Amino acid sequence: MKTIVAAALLLFQVVMIVYARFVPSRYFCWAPFDIQTEYKLQVEVDGRTLSGKEVRARYRRPQNGTDNRSPQHVMDIVQGYEESYGRNNPARVVMRYRVNGKDEQVWRWPQQ
Amino acid sequence: MAATVSEPSWNPLRCGGTMLPVNLLVMAKSIAIALLLTNHVALLPDPFLPFIPGLDHLPPVLFQRTLQVLFVASALALLFNRSVRLSAFVLGMTIIVSVLASKAYYGNNKTFCGFVLFLIGLYEPGKEPWMIRLQLVLVYFGAGSNKLLDTDWRTGVFFQNWAANRLHQPVFIAVSSYLPQLVLAKAISWFTIATELGLSGVFLVRRLFPLGIWGNLVLHSSMLFFTGSTFTMFFYAMTASMLAFASWPARPMLVIFDGDCGFCALTKGWVERLDLEQMLEWRPYQSGVGLRYGITDTDANKRLYLVNGDRIYSGFSAFKMMVLCNPISYLLTYTVLAAPGSGDSRFRNIVVAVLLVLFSPLFQPVGDALYALVARNRRSLVANSNCSIE
Repeated sequence: MKTIVAAALLLFQVVMIVYARFVPSRYFCWAPFDIQTEYKLQVEVDGRTLSGKEVRARYRRPQNGTDNRSPQHVMDIVQGYEESYGRNNPARVVMRYRVNGKDEQVWRWPQQ
Repeated sequence: MAATVSEPSWNPLRCGGTMLPVNLLVMAKSIAIALLLTNHVALLPDPFLPFIPGLDHLPPVLFQRTLQVLFVASALALLFNRSVRLSAFVLGMTIIVSVLASKAYYGNNKTFCGFVLFLIGLYEPGKEPWMIRLQLVLVYFGAGSNKLLDTDWRTGVFFQNWAANRLHQPVFIAVSSYLPQLVLAKAISWFTIATELGLSGVFLVRRLFPLGIWGNLVLHSSMLFFTGSTFTMFFYAMTASMLAFASWPARPMLVIFDGDCGFCALTKGWVERLDLEQMLEWRPYQSGVGLRYGITDTDANKRLYLVNGDRIYSGFSAFKMMVLCNPISYLLTYTVLAAPGSGDSRFRNIVVAVLLVLFSPLFQPVGDALYALVARNRRSLVANSNCSIE
């Protein structure tokens, strides 16, 4: 039984390593520090721009920060929050980010 | 490796007499020490955007406090040799549950710690720890293959941006200024890819384990020196995991020493005090025990010998084996390394560098020369010492 459980854990990781080839996110696939994303979040709720402290409290990520795995991880957190905890207090979010120092890209929520 | 039978000691420096082989328990304790000293308990989250739906319906404060209590309790139980497999399992599960409960908490270093401790908890006595070894294979394969398939890694763009613009690494910036653009970054990128993929293969072949262990230690130490960061728990957990590949002595090792030598007796006394697992059996050469191993009077007069199974070590090598086969060496090392906390530490870097040099094959000639110097002058090091062999 123990061997089966351990093998299942390892097999899960094999699946996630393969799955990562088809999606932009990098969860459970052992891709640490493989992408450097520098981002800035501009968040508006009811027409008011949130402060850095408020952004961090909302998404548990700094307003201006880096992610060492994938920009998708930051997007997942923002989108996940807005689709669940933030439904009754929706925000308009603009995330400006650079991947590995390249040209700036923009991601918006709600997506247009 | 079979587990020993005696009752587990409450002494945290002891690692024998439990349901885990000594090397795996030392590995688990080393990770636990680093987790405790870096105050990782404070990072454990309440549920937030969990990977498993519904976890965030649990009372958040109760959830977090429960995890924290279980984390500390299991880590301490592990250190004090209480139900070590269960303790490792619970400690691993607190981290795994934390990862699954919060996307904000998720991180590769935490996930690795959780998985490795979980697998140690599932260890079955008398068997090789292949599941733990395969975990390392997967980590290096995942890391190497992801980089290989990433254009920015293959071209050096990632490394150039990271080293120059993010880390402002002075050595990298200085060296790369003499080279065409991206050449140095590309070379380091491909070296990293090759090393990670190479390690994933090496750790599948038993006779290549020593090469893999050195590759791991050099790779992660290099990252420490280059970035000044332990990547939270990654440095501690990845290096400690090498104990799963180490050939730990199954029975006490024989140490053959000069019984007429006062300095030798003094050294023996100190080493025996630290040999809590009683892994060393000291026998004077004068008893004739060395003859069966082909050790002559001339040999014994020059250096000490250590017999481990069918392998014989002498002088500096013998002392290295005594250090490497003593759990206290690792527990003390990880305590010293983790003590400065999670930030950059020149002290930590120096300790790691010194240990790497001392135990590297490159230092062997120097170590042998220093040992010979001490051995030649041992009569003058201890009063009333008589080191002649009749």
